[in-house]
Amino acid sequence: MLTGMLFIVAIIIAIEVPPLWRKKLKKELWAFSLLLLFGTILGLAQALEFKIPNPLDWVISVYKPVSDLMDVWLK
Amino acid sequence: MPENVKISIRQFTVLVMLITIGDSILVLPSIAAFEAKQDVWISGLIGLAVGLLAVYIFSMVGKLYPHLTLVQSIQEIFGKWFGTFVSLMFLFYTFLSVVAHTRETGDFVTSVMMQETPTQAIQILFVCIVIMAVRLGLEVIARTGEIFLPWIIFFFLILVILLSPQAEFEKLQPILENGIKPVLHGSLSCIAFPFMELVVFLMIFPYVNQPQQIRKGFLQGVLLGGIVLIIIITVSILVLGPDHTARSMYPTYSLARRVTVGRFFERVEAMLALMWTLTIFMKVTLYFYIFNLGLAQLLKLKGYRMLTLPVGLLLIVLTPVISPSITYFNKVISKYWPYFDLTYGLLLPLLLLAVYFVRTKFKRSTN
Repeated sequence: MLTGMLFIVAIIIAIEVPPLWRKKLKKELWAFSLLLLFGTILGLAQALEFKIPNPLDWVISVYKPVSDLMDVWLK
Repeated sequence: MPENVKISIRQFTVLVMLITIGDSILVLPSIAAFEAKQDVWISGLIGLAVGLLAVYIFSMVGKLYPHLTLVQSIQEIFGKWFGTFVSLMFLFYTFLSVVAHTRETGDFVTSVMMQETPTQAIQILFVCIVIMAVRLGLEVIARTGEIFLPWIIFFFLILVILLSPQAEFEKLQPILENGIKPVLHGSLSCIAFPFMELVVFLMIFPYVNQPQQIRKGFLQGVLLGGIVLIIIITVSILVLGPDHTARSMYPTYSLARRVTVGRFFERVEAMLALMWTLTIFMKVTLYFYIFNLGLAQLLKLKGYRMLTLPVGLLLIVLTPVISPSITYFNKVISKYWPYFDLTYGLLLPLLLLAVYFVRTKFKRSTN
């Protein structure tokens, strides 16, 4: 799982970085690297079985009052 | 952003229709029938009516700045800081949609067709194709839609025609057994899932080559897609009955299993699975394209293609995270997701229109 993950990251870097580097697109390279770093960290955290916060829990906590209200109102 | 692509109005209409059908064709009957029972077809009609109205509002928003995508016009209307914040929230919404739909695909394939295969394997393959399509660009996605459409309509017609002998109209009775309220409750998901999610089309308005016909094409696509959905919802109730429809996770799939013609034409469910895979593929691809395009425009990058692979990685990593179990996921989708959709599909366009008109009025009065 870990090695597979790093292997995929390496492939992604090999595909994307050389053309960006050649064209000297600095900003694009930054955006690419930060996203990739974020994805890699999350992936590693998952492979090592750390607990990653679930974005759907945030959605639930935001919309729970509305949903409960509608449930009562449209009963 | 030098994204010089153009799609024709016909391709736009086809895309709208396919994305309206999207994943709804498989899951909507069950979610809506849970609340509305045998009256779910009324919920579907309400959903279509509100959906057409919503699309009319979208096209109004699109006309404010015909040359800007949604992310750009949000920044134009709300100003730099608040605009960036709203754009980020919108991108978060599209990304979460992509993750949820990918998860749905994996869940569907592993739970009904390939039980032994790990969900992640299917999701990785699926995301690879999606990334490939998105890297090829909007024109290719639109043409793919045109190729898929006849097949989807063909499979849909075969399914409906072969099921029609099994329809029992008694299952629709009693109409409005518990009053109008459960029907309205059921219509909430009928409004949100197929129609509110079309708000992402505001991101590709500038790429349509005949902007003055967008409203007409948009309404046509929604109407056709909505009719397909209402027919499938009604057929689910007529053949399976309200209880079975509400209880099963994929009622349309159970429907297809019922098809049998003289004991030699059976197992049509594979055809349905193929049709659904095509429509959800179009939906995920368009959402993924829009997320990458929006992010690139927000960061003012030259092109979006370098973002696709890292975002795809993030997508694969997040799919197991968002749903520890299938019950949790289904509960979120049926209970909370409609409001999430409504926030971006209804609240955001209305807010954009209101702020735009207040600002132009204010400017005129100071002059």
